[in-house]
Amino acid sequence: MPHLVVKDVVAGYGSGPDILTGLSLDVEEGKSYCIVGPNGAGKSTLLKAICGLVNIRNGTIDFEGETLLGLRADQVLQRGICFVPQDRSLFPDMTVRENLRMGGYILKDRNEVERRIDEVFEMFPILKERASQHAKTMSGGQQQQLLLGRALVLRPKVVMLDEPSLGLAPKVSKQIFDSMNQLKDAGITIIVVEQNARMGLGYCDWGCVLDLGKLVFEGASRTVLDDPRMAELYLGTRRTGSEK
Amino acid sequence: MTQAIQILIIGLTLGGVFALMASGLTLIFGVMGIVNLAHAAFMVAAAFISFFAYKGLGLDPIASIVLTMPVMFVVGLVVYRLFFARSIDDPKKRSVLVLVTFAMALVIEGTLGFFFSNIYRSTNPPYAYDAFLMGPFYLPKGQFYATLMSALILGALWAMLRFTRLGYAIRATTHNRTAAEVVGVNVDRVSMFVFGIGMALAGASGSMISFLFSFYPGKHWEWVAILLSLVVLGGMGSLLGALIGALSLSVISAFVNSAYGPTWSPVTFYLALFAILLIRPQGLLGKKPEL
Ligand SMILES: Nc1ncnc2c1ncn2[C@@H]1O[C@H](COP(=O)(O)OP(=O)(O)OP(=O)(O)O)[C@@H](O)[C@H]1O
Ligand SMILES: [Mg+2]
Repeated sequence: MPHLVVKDVVAGYGSGPDILTGLSLDVEEGKSYCIVGPNGAGKSTLLKAICGLVNIRNGTIDFEGETLLGLRADQVLQRGICFVPQDRSLFPDMTVRENLRMGGYILKDRNEVERRIDEVFEMFPILKERASQHAKTMSGGQQQQLLLGRALVLRPKVVMLDEPSLGLAPKVSKQIFDSMNQLKDAGITIIVVEQNARMGLGYCDWGCVLDLGKLVFEGASRTVLDDPRMAELYLGTRRTGSEK
Repeated sequence: MTQAIQILIIGLTLGGVFALMASGLTLIFGVMGIVNLAHAAFMVAAAFISFFAYKGLGLDPIASIVLTMPVMFVVGLVVYRLFFARSIDDPKKRSVLVLVTFAMALVIEGTLGFFFSNIYRSTNPPYAYDAFLMGPFYLPKGQFYATLMSALILGALWAMLRFTRLGYAIRATTHNRTAAEVVGVNVDRVSMFVFGIGMALAGASGSMISFLFSFYPGKHWEWVAILLSLVVLGGMGSLLGALIGALSLSVISAFVNSAYGPTWSPVTFYLALFAILLIRPQGLLGKKPEL
């Protein structure tokens, strides 16, 4: 049974054009989803729409049977959906530990947050080593681990990652995807946007292909990779992407 | 040498008050990305509150921060709701917000001028005309008390930013607005509180300048220019930078004052502003604050 249901969603920024143009997607609990598609397809916008950072103009988004529409970002977090944006959204001048504390910002119990930070340290020992270092002085891979760790402080049910491998060496990207799979094994639903379709799909159960603000097709990762429509989208037999 | 130390004392004790004045400006810029050109106009408005509380109720101007800070805090919340809340997240509207603050400065100046006319005023508690004598040095009591109070307020502000939940939220929003939103900080609420806190700091500054300087409604242009130079020197948005900028420029201007006379001391700030913008536009501590 799907626990996150996106239905006919139309969304855009400010008074600008529709970026998502009637997008539907069912997400099942405990599975991992890789979202691929050309630049400007609306992949990031979809994630932002789910977590309350973009206004929904039409359609519905339900999570565990309740609507997410009209909720602020912090209220979506309360429901257990965490988002790791594309642009390395750390707090550069805070220490690693302070960044993790910010991850537990919506929790009232400070001691609980410290306990959970210790859990995160178990999963990412490097963060413990660097606990009092400023986030901006960490390497790209370490920053990505910190972002993941920061999301985990909330013990989320769903983690959404936007291009976690951006700018990372292949070996480091693999580590990030391995950590991601660890989370999936712990029962967390994963939605990841990935430019490198081959790698992203290789790590996920299910592939969703977006173009021009719509879901073009989806399927088990392997079948998506081999689908001729993929080549069409990526090799560009026609103009793709909305206005940039 | 004795004279140099004397000038240093004067410069540093004024610098503390300048730091208080600049703190609200830089805090608001850090979180909202807006230069509030009405900051000094709000200070002058608060100075009027202190002035009338002193004349009418005999309330000591330093003690009158119990009046000016909460009043200006509430004014800040209201102003934020009315003028900024809906525009802050819209890049197109956002760019005109500086003009909105410019207009607010004009309106405040005009209103104060209409009711109280453009004459020089000053509260004159006894300590404003007294000094501590220590050997060859003297320390004006008014400046000393004002700087002491400024240090207290800035210390409290620092502790709030460092240790409270709201403080974490403010710093997070300053560093990276998107990231703050993503971890669940209600950045709109934070912006509103920061505007209120910034105005409360302007209120406290107003109480201090009510006896340190003489003021009239149009005086704020001079102060806002000085504050901008301090804040730009330290790095827009940086509280520590504002403190360093305030202390150093105020000492330099005290030396210029003693060497070339009082007409030239404000010019120090403007020249510094020019020089900084040419040489290191991001200021001493960069654009993003560190505190
Ligand atoms: N904050 C914003 N304000 C206005 N328009 C935006 C904003 N963010 C994205 N857009 C527009 O929305 C469209 C889709 O952007 P989005 O970031 O969702 O694409 P994407 O699929 O994630 O692309 P990429 O692979 O480049 O990350 C683009 O045309 C972009 O210009
Ligand atoms: Mg994107």
